[in-house]
Amino acid sequence: MTTDIRSTSWVNTNHPAPAQKPPATEVGVLGWLRTNLFSGIGNSLLTVVTLVALYFIVTNVVRWLLGAFWEPIWVNRKLFAVGQYPLEQLWQPAIVLLMVSLLFGLSAGRWGNIMRNLGIGLGALLLALALIPIGLQAQMVMAASLALLVIGYFIGVRVAISSRWLALAWVLSLPATFVILLGGVNLPTLGVTWNFAPLVESNLWGGLMLTMLLAVVGIALSFPIGVLLALGRRSNLPVVKVFCVGYIELIRGVPLITLLFMGMTMLPLFLPSTWGNPSQLVRAMTAITLFSAAYLAENVRGGLQAIPKGQYEAADALGFSGFDKLRFIILPQALTKVIPAIVGQFIGLFKDTSLASLVGLLELVAVGKAVIQQPAWMGVTGGVAKEVYIFIALVFFIFSFGMSFASRKLESKLGFGKR
Amino acid sequence: MTSSTLPNQRPPFYRDTRTIAIMLQILFLIVVLGVGWFLYNNMVARLAAGNTAAGGALSWGFLGQTAGFGISEGPTFRPEESYGRAYVVGVINTLRVGIVGIILATVLGLFAGIARVSNNWLLNKLAMVYVEIFRSTPLLVQLLFWYVGVIAALPAIQDAAPLGDLGYLTNRGMHLTWIFPTETGRALTWWLLGGVIVGMAVAWFRRRQLERAGAPGSGAIAGVAAFALVVIVGFLVALSTSAMPAATTYELRRGDRGTLFEDVNGNGAFELNTDRPLAYVPITLFGADGQVIATGMTNGDGGFRFVDLPAEATRLEWTTPTPLVISEPQRQGFNFNGGISVTPEFAALLLALVVYTGAFIAEIVRAGINAVSKGQWEASRALGLTTGATLRMVVLPQALRVIIPPLTSQYLNLVKNSSLAIAVGYPDLFNVSRTIVNQTGAEVQGILLVMATYLSFSLITSLFMNWYNKRVSLVER
Repeated sequence: MTTDIRSTSWVNTNHPAPAQKPPATEVGVLGWLRTNLFSGIGNSLLTVVTLVALYFIVTNVVRWLLGAFWEPIWVNRKLFAVGQYPLEQLWQPAIVLLMVSLLFGLSAGRWGNIMRNLGIGLGALLLALALIPIGLQAQMVMAASLALLVIGYFIGVRVAISSRWLALAWVLSLPATFVILLGGVNLPTLGVTWNFAPLVESNLWGGLMLTMLLAVVGIALSFPIGVLLALGRRSNLPVVKVFCVGYIELIRGVPLITLLFMGMTMLPLFLPSTWGNPSQLVRAMTAITLFSAAYLAENVRGGLQAIPKGQYEAADALGFSGFDKLRFIILPQALTKVIPAIVGQFIGLFKDTSLASLVGLLELVAVGKAVIQQPAWMGVTGGVAKEVYIFIALVFFIFSFGMSFASRKLESKLGFGKR
Repeated sequence: MTSSTLPNQRPPFYRDTRTIAIMLQILFLIVVLGVGWFLYNNMVARLAAGNTAAGGALSWGFLGQTAGFGISEGPTFRPEESYGRAYVVGVINTLRVGIVGIILATVLGLFAGIARVSNNWLLNKLAMVYVEIFRSTPLLVQLLFWYVGVIAALPAIQDAAPLGDLGYLTNRGMHLTWIFPTETGRALTWWLLGGVIVGMAVAWFRRRQLERAGAPGSGAIAGVAAFALVVIVGFLVALSTSAMPAATTYELRRGDRGTLFEDVNGNGAFELNTDRPLAYVPITLFGADGQVIATGMTNGDGGFRFVDLPAEATRLEWTTPTPLVISEPQRQGFNFNGGISVTPEFAALLLALVVYTGAFIAEIVRAGINAVSKGQWEASRALGLTTGATLRMVVLPQALRVIIPPLTSQYLNLVKNSSLAIAVGYPDLFNVSRTIVNQTGAEVQGILLVMATYLSFSLITSLFMNWYNKRVSLVER
């Protein structure tokens, strides 16, 4: 016989009262307001003060925005993008953009992680530029780049491309970019001159294109130097160590602008007179690379220090030679660890390239200065400086914030910085 | 028992790791020196080929030559002085903007960082927007925005409206009301310095006393009180003994301008380096027939100049000033007289550096506060401390250990970033060095000088911060 358990006397058969809804002040909009803005007298006071401050800021910003004069930026959009690059040869930068988009797509599909985040950002930017009526041809280039990005992504996901080949393609893309932008090769010192289009000297390169180029070259070229310096700093050989420590601390102790001026005026002095004078772009890039290498070395050192000693000992026990130990055991782990730091450094360098405007390169800020002084805007009351500099700041913000956002997403995914 | 000796299997010397290490280092040294020699040789050859006014490839003699250019702000600098002195003025200007910038950026960063961890959503997000905007845009763009976009758009001097009693904001700079020590208040500087020393000593003794008694407190109140006491006594002493020098005389030119000075050598004429100008002394100008034409005050250099006088003054009388005087800026034609003036260049550079560095410091402060474990907050709440007291007495002291190393590098960054002064024409050390280099052609020396100066700043700051870091770090076994 089965007994209904509910019939037992000690079971409470009175159903509990139905759960009541929480008070309106604890949930919903009111509850949110109460916990986040008005949790106490002090907090409420703070909210009110902040609101008043916010009101002043917002009304002033809105009033200014309504009266702002954006025409100088719209009219000079080509100047902001590529500087004085000849109009009829703009297909050359377009090819570079297409190439980079394809590589980004392939890497995003193949490697995922930060490349995918950056790829999504690039895609959003290309989409926006394809939709804004900046000019039919430019829009078509943007759309084509977007298409290549997406196609590259799917190829990267489906096809197992060798990581090594992809990395090699990235490495080769840098000299390729220079050749394409220049329209050939022009090295009179080595007696090499070849061109497929009228040569576009680097003093005509400018705008965002130059800003990007400076930052990418600065990170890419400083990478091998930085890794060597980091290894040298941890070396057991005192002479090497002293040299590396001295270099790193010397460079980190002085502002970039002194190095840029030094590159501009002293780099030609250091070369034999038969070599002629390197172009302004090369001088600035040398200075930026030497600067960036010291900071990169410190980042890589952080990664090296994070490798447990057991890894070294295990490699030794397995009979790896010194070089193979670094190549196969230590550096792969150390460099993976420092990717977020290197992205951070790239963002910093991207912002620092603005200093190149002070030594005569026509990058974004220098273009802005030139636009402000165009005679067409002389009659505008209050000048157009605010608009131009806010626009430039916005461009920098989109890239820096986008990259740092992508990097932070990665960090939270990998669990860095979480305890 | 068989004794077996291991064969001597020492590797040949060229495979000995110690030998290899030494050889490698020698090789490295040869390569480095070779490259260095190559670069140096090229440089000497090119310098010899070019015609540099520096006199020889690497001579430092130019530092003693007459500069021939003026410096718009900072310590008084005349074109007759040397390049070396011009550079020193540049260094002082860098320190001026650097020190003020560090103090203000710390305050701003501390507030924004605390706001970033505030549980007030609105304040939190406002601070976040500030940090993200100013961290993600280049300092140079911000600097140019403040200088060209904001300060240049302020009203011109003749249209400027006063900000109450504070002063004026114009596109030619800020002109603020300020307190100056006058001729009779010169000794106050020493009293102030004495006050700081006495205050620190009293604070130290009080803290030791409190520690022995086991009572809470840091002795800061006692220190501040001692400081205030010394300064007040100093002021009273200066007030009661105030007198003008016996040899006071004046020079009056064109009936409206001149200098009031102590005639040290007794020749009646004002000579810049021997006679002592008298600052902030009230003066009255009299005309030929004895009527009062104008009253006013000498400026910081003992000089005075009146505009639009009804008649030419022929005589001047002075009265003994109080040790301190409040000087308000007064419009005089197209300029301001009195008060303290901040040039637009200094203001823009300071603003840009403070706002930019403040954003970075805010993130450092936030990270430091977040690094303090949550249990510390909960424990101090359980002990009944208010949020403010928890922050001040429990969390921040612990966060400080995490904050200080990155904070040091931010301070150094601020000083290094002040070299952007060249973009707005503020005469900092780098800007002055460029002027010197452009005039003398001493390219290499100029760069070396600048690098050495920045490196010594880094070194001094690092040493100080390491000492401080050691003081606040945890005492472990």
